[in-house]
Amino acid sequence: MKIKSFALIAAVTAAGFLSAQSANAADEWGIEYEEKARVEAKVVDLLCEVTGDCVEQCGAGTRQLGLLLDDGTLVPAVKNFDPFAGTTDDLIQFCGKRIVADGLMIKDPLMPMFVVQFRRLAPDGEWGRANNFTKNWAKSNPDKPANQWFRHDAEVLRLVETQGVYGIPGLKAEE
Amino acid sequence: MAHRVNKNGMRFNPTQLRKLLGAGLLSLSLVLFATIQPTNAATAQRVQVTGEIIDTWCYVTEIMFSEGTAHHQCAVWCALGGIPVSILGKDGKVYMVLRVEGDDNSVANPTIVEIQSHEVTVDGDLYERDGVNYLIVNKVADDKGVINMTHEDYGIQPFGE
Ligand SMILES: [Cu+2]
Repeated sequence: MKIKSFALIAAVTAAGFLSAQSANAADEWGIEYEEKARVEAKVVDLLCEVTGDCVEQCGAGTRQLGLLLDDGTLVPAVKNFDPFAGTTDDLIQFCGKRIVADGLMIKDPLMPMFVVQFRRLAPDGEWGRANNFTKNWAKSNPDKPANQWFRHDAEVLRLVETQGVYGIPGLKAEE
Repeated sequence: MAHRVNKNGMRFNPTQLRKLLGAGLLSLSLVLFATIQPTNAATAQRVQVTGEIIDTWCYVTEIMFSEGTAHHQCAVWCALGGIPVSILGKDGKVYMVLRVEGDDNSVANPTIVEIQSHEVTVDGDLYERDGVNYLIVNKVADDKGVINMTHEDYGIQPFGE
């Protein structure tokens, strides 16, 4: 497997290095099949859209969300602008509404998906950086560094403590 | 090791198909495909999938090595960060999990995070739409735990600790 370190660095550190930029235009992350994209789409609950099993408010943050494009194409919104985080916190307020999503359309033949870097209510709402995961995490963890949330999150620490870093209890990392 | 490159070996693009089958046979095969593929995107197929629970983002983008023990911690981060969790099937396909045994929570679902990186066999309903395999897991029929020992070759992804 090729490991694309540029993309890794971009994906992991983007929030830290680039959040000072004010332009509401997507950054390239160097991922295969990525295309910078600004799309107008309806925010949908994937389970509802795909299977017809629908609940109030797209599950109010408990369900994965997607973008339903005008041509009927559904693309899952899997990644936001934070390190190791998804888009639910950034999109849930727009459930059932049309937004303009700015980010990366990744047309990987294995699985197409969208990275949301900015979004606003269509057609001309106020742009917002898609980094609500760390914003929300910071509110719950005011004395910890949100850009390193994955090193300080209580549930991460509990799982690594009980399962080990490799997921096998008792199997420890060599020093 | 079952990497995503396997998937390429399993697929034929139309040009390859034409070469393989000849033009006449191609149209016949398209008719056959049409009859066995669900015409309605919302039609589910009953499936049994065996594979490893993975983080969708790291695996599909290949930004790091993202299978087994080496990637377990990062896969936990991504799952708790709310990125969709998938099963990497033995067939090389990625199946995004939208429900597990009646539980609709697909955002940092504690039950799924707890079995991250495990090799499982699940019975489910598969919905294919616009190139994505969405999986409703009705039953986790088998769970072998974490058995893909990749850390000896790949360390701890992505930071080494
Ligand atoms: Cu990863």
